[in-house]
Amino acid sequence: MSSEPNAYSSHPPRLRDATILDKVVANGGVMSIALFFIVCCLFFAVTTDAFLTAPNLLNIIRQSAPLLIVAAAMTFVITTGGIDLSVGSVLALTATLSAAALQAGVPWPLAILLMLALGGVVGLIQGYFIAYERIPAFIVTLAGLSVIRGFALLITGGYSIPIEPTSPFVTIGRAWILGIPAPALIAIVVLIVAYVAFNETHFGRYVTGVGANAEATRRAGVNTRRIILWVYILSGTASAAAGVILSARLGSGSSNAGQGFELDVIAAVVLGGTSLFGGRGSLVGTILGALTVAVLANGLILSHLSPFFTPIVTGFIILVAIWLNFRLFKGGARGR
Amino acid sequence: MTDTDVSRVRMTGISKRYGALQSLDNASLNLMPGEVLGLVGDNGAGKSTMSKVLSGAVIPDAGTIEIDGRPVSFTSPAEARAARIEMVYQDLALCDTIDVAGNLFLGREPKRRLAGVPLLDKKTMHERARDMLSNLGIVIPDTSMKVENLSGGQRQSIAIGRAASFNPSVLIMDEPTAALAVAEVEAVLELIRTVSKRGVSVILITHRLQDLFLVCDRIQVMYEGRNVAERRIEDTNIEDVVNLIVGRKFTARSAGHNHQERGASA
Repeated sequence: MSSEPNAYSSHPPRLRDATILDKVVANGGVMSIALFFIVCCLFFAVTTDAFLTAPNLLNIIRQSAPLLIVAAAMTFVITTGGIDLSVGSVLALTATLSAAALQAGVPWPLAILLMLALGGVVGLIQGYFIAYERIPAFIVTLAGLSVIRGFALLITGGYSIPIEPTSPFVTIGRAWILGIPAPALIAIVVLIVAYVAFNETHFGRYVTGVGANAEATRRAGVNTRRIILWVYILSGTASAAAGVILSARLGSGSSNAGQGFELDVIAAVVLGGTSLFGGRGSLVGTILGALTVAVLANGLILSHLSPFFTPIVTGFIILVAIWLNFRLFKGGARGR
Repeated sequence: MTDTDVSRVRMTGISKRYGALQSLDNASLNLMPGEVLGLVGDNGAGKSTMSKVLSGAVIPDAGTIEIDGRPVSFTSPAEARAARIEMVYQDLALCDTIDVAGNLFLGREPKRRLAGVPLLDKKTMHERARDMLSNLGIVIPDTSMKVENLSGGQRQSIAIGRAASFNPSVLIMDEPTAALAVAEVEAVLELIRTVSKRGVSVILITHRLQDLFLVCDRIQVMYEGRNVAERRIEDTNIEDVVNLIVGRKFTARSAGHNHQERGASA
């Protein structure tokens, strides 16, 4: 610490400034998924005629809007070191209830607000058990997954509820504004807000802090339990928004919607380099992860391959992308 | 030392039980403004728990705390921070995946407003972080480095810098020199002397007994959760303190010399 020159000071400093390569390695999670995303796009652009056309690309974003929105919220949840397995069930419940509410004559703006509030309350209840009762998030949201899907089935009796195609509600899923599909616009707005919240606000900083060292963050005077509660409220609300968009696009609310949706969402987040152990998250990575999953599903169909290849290829890519993180880009691999 | 007779900190009858273990048993602590108190004791004597009670990280089962004569009861570290009590924790309490500036400002990040939305003021954070570190003579080349990429000594320096930089009235240091090299230990001891001259009260927990004799005004010895002895620094010596810590006449060779290096932590 002494600033006096000493006998050894002629040695060159051991620490060099961060080079571009250092930064690439430090963001290894994002880099490896960016690589995969580009490779996938190039592959389908070359092998199919229809892939690289504006209508198809917009269609991909339109279809993946629910995935993008929920994956953005899930990035917060996973960065705190938690998980939310109930997102698919919340999506199904709000999809069916919004259809049921419209059928019962509830005005469509009120129906949307009610659904978002319902998602928030579901998140609040789960978050309470996780943050204040200290029950592991996996257990709480696994129970939530079962209970909430059960309610959706109970309400509909297993049938899907149609939505009047003339209702303005369906424009949320079907309208095009300035040449962009409405769901895509909603997703883009959500992603921008999520990016700013994650990287530029106190809340985002404390989400990372809770995942990196919850006790240290608490000792720094942060109400960590409230932070944890809020990330589950966020994921519940985002799942409700996804449910509304999905039912509006499909024109019906099905209690079977979003089966396995939680796994797609978690796959997208993990593909993007967010650590399941917490403390390390990237929204850019999540966006690339979700888009990679969506591009694969779309491209495989355009290639006239069986759509059943999608889960196989997605699974392999998850494994290889994470493996790349650990081997090539050591940045994300530093264990905790 | 200032000449007021109101204690900066007065803790009385503090008890804390963890299951079967009575960690603190009717312990007390008194600290005058500008005083440097050495808190010593064997591993598990309750030094860390006592200091965590004062920093709000542990809520005691019983006992009272007065700060500058006013009774307080901290229910969270945020409240102790608001009362200007800062602590360097033994485990450093750093977030590995957050950068140096972010750790220094954790919990009190400066705000800027963009269209009414409160955002982190990262530019100010990095500028002030550089100032804070250079004021304390801490060499960290880049405040945007993640803490996980720093050495043990650098990490410890950051934990000390965080506690010392926000104008504390009480500074608690739990083993602040454990990971530090010779020159860095000297710098920490110098820092303690400097802040105590400014009127900051310091509680120093360390196993390096020779350090106590360099900076402390008084030494308090704890044993199994209780206070067992208190000595003015001028009335005691290392052998005396060692005997008080172990509770009997101790004849280890290390006790006879000025180089006292004892095991890990409490």
